[in-house]
Amino acid sequence: MFRYFKNLYTYRYLLYNLTAREIKSRYKQSVLGYFWVILNPLFQMLVLAFVFSFFIRIPVEFNIPYSVFLYSGLLPWTLFAQSIMSATNSLIENETLIKKVYFPREIIITSTVIAKIYDFILASTIFVGFLIYYKISIGVIIFYYPLIIFIQVMFSLGLSFILSAFNLFYRDVQYLLNTIILLWFYFTPIIYPIELIPDRYRFVFQLNPMSVLINAQRRTIFGGAELNYTSMIIAVLLSLFIFQVGYMIFKKLEGLFADVV
Amino acid sequence: MLSNMKIVFENVTKKFFKQEDRTLKELIPSLIKGMRAGEFINALKNISLNIEKGDTVGVLGRNGAGKSTLLKVIAGVTQPTQGKVVIEGKIAPLIELGAGFHPQLTGRENIYLNGSIFGLSKKQINEIFDEIVSFSELERFIDTPVKHYSSGMYMRLGFSVAVHTPFDILLTDEILAVGDADFQEKCINKMNLFKKQGKIIIFVSHALETVAAFCNKGLLLDKGNQIYYGGVDEAINRYKNL
Repeated sequence: MFRYFKNLYTYRYLLYNLTAREIKSRYKQSVLGYFWVILNPLFQMLVLAFVFSFFIRIPVEFNIPYSVFLYSGLLPWTLFAQSIMSATNSLIENETLIKKVYFPREIIITSTVIAKIYDFILASTIFVGFLIYYKISIGVIIFYYPLIIFIQVMFSLGLSFILSAFNLFYRDVQYLLNTIILLWFYFTPIIYPIELIPDRYRFVFQLNPMSVLINAQRRTIFGGAELNYTSMIIAVLLSLFIFQVGYMIFKKLEGLFADVV
Repeated sequence: MLSNMKIVFENVTKKFFKQEDRTLKELIPSLIKGMRAGEFINALKNISLNIEKGDTVGVLGRNGAGKSTLLKVIAGVTQPTQGKVVIEGKIAPLIELGAGFHPQLTGRENIYLNGSIFGLSKKQINEIFDEIVSFSELERFIDTPVKHYSSGMYMRLGFSVAVHTPFDILLTDEILAVGDADFQEKCINKMNLFKKQGKIIIFVSHALETVAAFCNKGLLLDKGNQIYYGGVDEAINRYKNL
């Protein structure tokens, strides 16, 4: 992990350039351009909120409107899903660079993930607007929030390392991933609160870092309750473990990337 | 920049795994049937070289001889399967046809991107930017996305970016195949300058006359085998008799 951050530092200007390119080259031929980053999750939220507050009512805690509850989970989820999906394809997209010159390939993965964090921050402005509009007060432990996002990013990076490397050898990875992400979405308390799940099944969610992290993010925003520290410790350890294993596999296979891409 | 630059190959072999099955659907039946998922191809076999400061090495061989693979191994883009490679000195970005630029970005943006891949800071790139542009003669097109460039313009930009970054070892792959005579001459002049400065230049080309005039050493490869490494004239003779 030390090596990872050292490489990021050494190649910081490349990381900056690749990230800027990632952000710039998207939506280049569209009228609304970067607004899509904000509009897409907003529309998605509106559709889901419509379904789950009119047809099927889902009770939520913290005394907040369902739309706000949903948005608070949907945004970090979008960050996660977009991160690993675009990172999985990123090595293939940067084929020309990989074949031409050596630099640590994790720079590519990291730049795609950072570009998604940028999207996440932009999309969150609407969410802040919602908080202000509904006069929702922020919890006192909000300062944990960036830390939990950081853990989520480490978890995403770990998965991205494994998926992107394997995807070079077998492109099935990217197709399979779409299905898994969809399934994962429903197994994570985004459209429903975790309290809706009977106690005897809760352990499944405890082993899903995304579930614990999104739940914890909500608690820091809306306050009221303490964090569940046991779950948090499991999630943090699991995330860092995935990162470490992912990075090791990635570095092990790195020398073959130019041959198979 | 280093004073003692060198490239040493000790029994270097590079095998490519030729993957025939790109999807699991194809892989699984072939595993069950006991067939291999692909085969190994020897791109380089037992190559041993010793390239020293000031050497300009012409790499000769027919198509598929392993010339480009050799450059990729030197550049560190791909790792050898067996053997030892020692590189001392900073390597300039591999100059080859149609590689390395992002089509959506402009020439200017690509210069900054390529410079940063090479590990340069923004300030360092700013310093060499004008030189890169004027050498490539692309002033008018520098803010045009490179997807609109011709192959000659592409090469000019690629060559210009590579030679203006500080380096000890220059790797070129068929760079004289495109571009007009004027620019080719300009490239050769530039490379002669590097030769005088004692840099190592690896020159892959089918243009035998240029190789004879420019290089002091020759490496002849055939189907991944090292046929000859030594004086350039002997290498050319053997290549003609191959």
